[in-house]
Amino acid sequence: MARSKAASKKQQKQQQKRGVDFKKIKRKLGRKLPPPKNATNTEVKSKAIVLPEQSVASEKAGLAVSKKGLTLKELLQQTSHHNSKVRRDALMGLKDLFQKYPAELRSHRYAVIEKLRERIGDDDKVVRETLYQLLKTVVFPGCKEDNQGPFVSLMVAYIFNAMTHLAVDVRLMAFKFFDLVVQYYPPSFSLYADKVLQNYEDILRKNQFYLEDKAKLRSALAGLVRCLSLLPCNKRKVDSSEENMAGQKILHAFELDMPAESSGFSSITKKLKDLVPVLVNCFQDFFPSVHHMPLLDAQSFDCMHSILQSIDLVVGFFGYGIHQGKPASQLSYEGPDEAIWDHTISSLLLKKLFGVFPLNPTNHLSEKVDDRFFILNIVITEIFLRCSEWICPPGFLLEKFLQYIENALLGSVRPAVTHGPVKQFGRNIYFFCCLLFQSLCCKWQVIGSLVFFSNCGANHNNGILQAFTKIFEGCNPQSSLKLACLSAIEEMLIPGDDMVYPDASDPLFEYQITWIRALPQLLILLGDKHPSSSQVVLHLLLRLGQCANSSSPFSREYENMQYSLDKFYSSCVDRGDVYYGPFIRLSWDSQELAICGLYYFSNLGPFLLKSIAFCCLCSELEHLVLFRIIEVLHSAFSAGHIQIADYISFFMTLLSRFKVLPENIYPDVESDAKISNRGTFKLLTNTVCSCLSRIGDDSLVFQILEQVIFDQLLLKPPLDNACALLRVLVVLDCKPTRLSEQGIITLSKYLSGYLFEVVHCIPEDDEENSLPTHQQTCCYYMLPCFFLFDRSPKLLKLVLNLMGSLITESSSSPSSHSYTQYGNDNSNQINAVVSALLLMHKDTKVRKIISSFKEEVVHILQIIHSLQVKFLVTGNPENGLAVITYTYDLSGRSQVTSFSLSG
Amino acid sequence: MELLIASSSVADAGIGCWDLESGAEQLRYKSCASPPHGLACVGQRFLASSQLREQPSASSGSILYWSWSKVEVKSLPAEPIKPIAANSHGTYIAGGGQSGDIYMWEVASGRLLKKWHAHYRAVTCLVFSQDGSFLISGSEDGCVRIWSLLTVFEECESQRASHLYLHSFTGHTLRITDIVIGYGGVSATIVSASEDRTCKVWSLLKGRLLRNIVFPSVIDAIALDPAEHVFYAGSRDGSIYIAALNAESPSTSSYGMHIIGSLSDHSKAVTCLAYSTGDLLISGSEDGMVRVWDPITHNIVRMFRLAKGPVNNILVVRRPLYLNLGSFSNPHTSSRRHGSQLPPPLDKYVTSADEDVDNKGVIRLPSLYNAPRDASYISHRTIDNHLKELQQQGSSAATEMEVERLKHECNRTLQMVQQWKKMYENLHEFCVNELLDGDQVDGSKRNAV
Repeated sequence: MARSKAASKKQQKQQQKRGVDFKKIKRKLGRKLPPPKNATNTEVKSKAIVLPEQSVASEKAGLAVSKKGLTLKELLQQTSHHNSKVRRDALMGLKDLFQKYPAELRSHRYAVIEKLRERIGDDDKVVRETLYQLLKTVVFPGCKEDNQGPFVSLMVAYIFNAMTHLAVDVRLMAFKFFDLVVQYYPPSFSLYADKVLQNYEDILRKNQFYLEDKAKLRSALAGLVRCLSLLPCNKRKVDSSEENMAGQKILHAFELDMPAESSGFSSITKKLKDLVPVLVNCFQDFFPSVHHMPLLDAQSFDCMHSILQSIDLVVGFFGYGIHQGKPASQLSYEGPDEAIWDHTISSLLLKKLFGVFPLNPTNHLSEKVDDRFFILNIVITEIFLRCSEWICPPGFLLEKFLQYIENALLGSVRPAVTHGPVKQFGRNIYFFCCLLFQSLCCKWQVIGSLVFFSNCGANHNNGILQAFTKIFEGCNPQSSLKLACLSAIEEMLIPGDDMVYPDASDPLFEYQITWIRALPQLLILLGDKHPSSSQVVLHLLLRLGQCANSSSPFSREYENMQYSLDKFYSSCVDRGDVYYGPFIRLSWDSQELAICGLYYFSNLGPFLLKSIAFCCLCSELEHLVLFRIIEVLHSAFSAGHIQIADYISFFMTLLSRFKVLPENIYPDVESDAKISNRGTFKLLTNTVCSCLSRIGDDSLVFQILEQVIFDQLLLKPPLDNACALLRVLVVLDCKPTRLSEQGIITLSKYLSGYLFEVVHCIPEDDEENSLPTHQQTCCYYMLPCFFLFDRSPKLLKLVLNLMGSLITESSSSPSSHSYTQYGNDNSNQINAVVSALLLMHKDTKVRKIISSFKEEVVHILQIIHSLQVKFLVTGNPENGLAVITYTYDLSGRSQVTSFSLSG
Repeated sequence: MELLIASSSVADAGIGCWDLESGAEQLRYKSCASPPHGLACVGQRFLASSQLREQPSASSGSILYWSWSKVEVKSLPAEPIKPIAANSHGTYIAGGGQSGDIYMWEVASGRLLKKWHAHYRAVTCLVFSQDGSFLISGSEDGCVRIWSLLTVFEECESQRASHLYLHSFTGHTLRITDIVIGYGGVSATIVSASEDRTCKVWSLLKGRLLRNIVFPSVIDAIALDPAEHVFYAGSRDGSIYIAALNAESPSTSSYGMHIIGSLSDHSKAVTCLAYSTGDLLISGSEDGMVRVWDPITHNIVRMFRLAKGPVNNILVVRRPLYLNLGSFSNPHTSSRRHGSQLPPPLDKYVTSADEDVDNKGVIRLPSLYNAPRDASYISHRTIDNHLKELQQQGSSAATEMEVERLKHECNRTLQMVQQWKKMYENLHEFCVNELLDGDQVDGSKRNAV
């Protein structure tokens, strides 16, 4: 370089030298004038302008860009820029980009998260906050459906790093990040529980920070609550979550390799044990603020609430470990159960937490503050109840808590709760109460009321139960409080795993009876407007029925319930008007529950059956529900829960009262289910027949039914119902017939009328009767008669005789009272007789039988013939024609008659 | 070589037995009225059946045994038993009572090993798992419970846990009608049917519901396909529905979700189903017919007529080799020869005296495969007797020895006595002689003086 420089200098010198030879002589002619003041500088300066963005712009045409036109790659690069504003802008840009192009996120999510995680421990507060928003609103929801395990594992290392950061702000924020992760991927807690709990412990120990920065601490503690709520603590909750998983499509599906719960939570017991004292101390640190500040501010309250909730959850987890025989062994605690619950914790809780209970505001300033204190107290009470089993609290403490619970339930602590602007809030509080009570009652069952009765006598329990009952009865049927009460009641009514029922001497028993009696009323009050509440009640009733066997003390109560349940189905008002209860309009699920509940009445009486029957007859009721009812009643009957007389009369009511619409029989319309419910009725008839034939000994059932059916038939029900009744008779009958002599006579009287009616009601389309639908319809109504004729020829004979005599009767005295309404007119009657005979003749089997009663037929024909002669004389040729057709049929097909057609 | 055994609730039809291949009727036991799930084949050796009670007073819910030749043993449990089940080896019989109790008997001795309160209401069906380590019970209250026999019989285990059962499934709302369990030991699949028109598939391992299938009608019987791809569900409307167990079936099926198809010929309700290893599906119906289906072609292969009443149970058992046709033609000889092979009747109550011995288990002597006639169980009681005998024999020998010893002692003592006597006599003689000698000396001395 130096050399070249030197060389260049030389050259310059040479040039200068050369310039000497041709020296230009400058002449000074005068001084150059200074430029005028208004002169314009015409100098032009130019600089190269580098615009990299513009140069790349053409390439970016197909790429996803943010609002500012930056690609994903550039944005990610900028996230590690030294300027915090640039970093923030980059994060904003990413958010923008991902919102516009979700596919971009999906394809590059690992690259993105690898870059983003570096910002978790960012020094700048705004950047962290922006990152949090970005993750929360875009990244996590976008990656939700993918396998999140590796995705999360990429992040947590940085989160833990940030948790041990020097700056407290960063630390607290890290907890917030972890909370977010847990929110979207719950198993991550069990994976990293050990570390997280350790970090929480560390931060809570250093209490000098958080009293200043309560807002941050609040969010961190909320995260702790969320994490701890993932601990298994309540078996029923676990069960219910399992029920929800039943909907999965593939049975033996490959399961995500989530760590098993047992491995996840076994190691952290010790960590949790260490955490409890820290939490309690932390809680105590808030005390000065409670006592010295005039009012409890929202942030401290939230912190305290979270702390208490955390303690509650940890205690619950310990309880779960102790209680569940099996899970405890799976959780592999070393040593006996005492290892989980050591005495340091119990004494700590006793001294520092329960000792200060109840927390009272120093001066009553506002309702809001009072409510806050109330909630805190409630949570403390819950903790107390949870661990009262193991720590055997001294009597005065128990007294104090029970007193508090009683007061809370009675509302003396918060008298203003039920009205005013805090009504909603008050409801929540009561909800707390119920939860509390629920846990209380669980304990009653588990430890057999040992602690509660031995330590403080029954008066408080009585008081609590009384207060609870009062609330239960007092609250609005559709409120959430009622629901909470119901779930508490379920806990208390349904005996637990040990299947021990309370005995009558137990004070609880008395209240249980009260609750049970209130249930049907509640159901009716709820009506059909609150389907979910109704469903809860019905489910409770079903559960009650399932365990109310004869040895249970509730069985009598359950039995008696049928007298108050009738209004739920329907009730008969005077003049035959029926008032339908809410059952008809409930959803299918609820109806199913209600119907199933019927099965468990050990003696389903006629009272409720009647009400159900009315329900079944209602045209609004779905026919599926109707058949379901019959099915369940049949099961109940075969289990011996219904008397046979009640059962049969239920079916008879159905068949004889069912209103078939429309009343006229049009073969064409019949298939249309919307207009006519005739199809349903046919199905119903079939179902009833099969149920009756399944009762057992057919001949016995027949004997029972015979008279009942005749009675119904003589009331002249509509054609369809009559047909159904006849069908029942046929199904139970056999060949030769089981009908009694008297029965045959009665039936023959009815059948002759019935045949007329059938012929009359079914309109003939044309002479040939060629339409198959028409024939089918005829067949449906005639078939039971044919069966009866087949089984008892005597019946046929009587019917034929009656037909003959009817014609003579009507002809001799046209105005006299005739058997059937359609037979008033002489000519009509003859027509009917002839068509009925024709119909019978068409059926091959009946034709054979009829051929053995030649005399009767001939007799009828003779009568008709004589009438015909009379008509011909009087001038009424149509009837004559019909007779002629029939006789022609007879002679043409079977050569029975030698009847002359002269006349 | 499989036998088809079907029983009915009509007493005069009883139990029918056919060769599944040839279709020839082999046996017919009259006077047996068994309820659904009330027939069990105990270890391929004999049949056991609980009885419906016709009148409240007469033979209330007894359990009868039939060996292949018609000898019956009758036992009267404490309460009417409807469902019974035996484990595959035939060591135990479990019975479910009307009060919700489950009884467990040891077959060989007839002792009631254990009775426990299992359900709120009557037990409707009982099934042993394939390996016999679990008992699954269904009840009228719609609850299905799984009992690990280990827990049930282990005293300390049962006291420690808050409940005896392993799992309790409360998903059904009405009476359980049938339960089947697949292969696979602890990870087996359980299918339960109920009067609430649903069948539910449960996982034994996880203890939770896997699938819920709603049918168009009540399902009274289910049978598992051996490969567990599908299960067959016999319904009250007379058809047998085929429901998928693993694959996701198209929801467009006309019957409902997960139901692939149906076999239909029955005019009346299907009451029981069984699957034979020869790939045949056997169904019993309310009209008293037993139909054998080819599940692939959906055709009926055979039909047997059992009774007028409903067929309540169907079993498919491998034909015992000794059961040749000769023994059928001459039942008397066979009964004389093997009549004593049936175990004693089942006890009514748990005997408290034996309670400590109850849980010691049963020792089964190894037996030849083809000689089941002589393969009997020897319970620990026999061993006890042996031990006692041995002890007694041993002690008599000891007394004999003692006597010998004493005799010997006696002899020795006698000898001693003799010896002493001799010595005494000697001494006496000596003394007398001394005295006499002294006198003589004195006399001589005196004489000398």
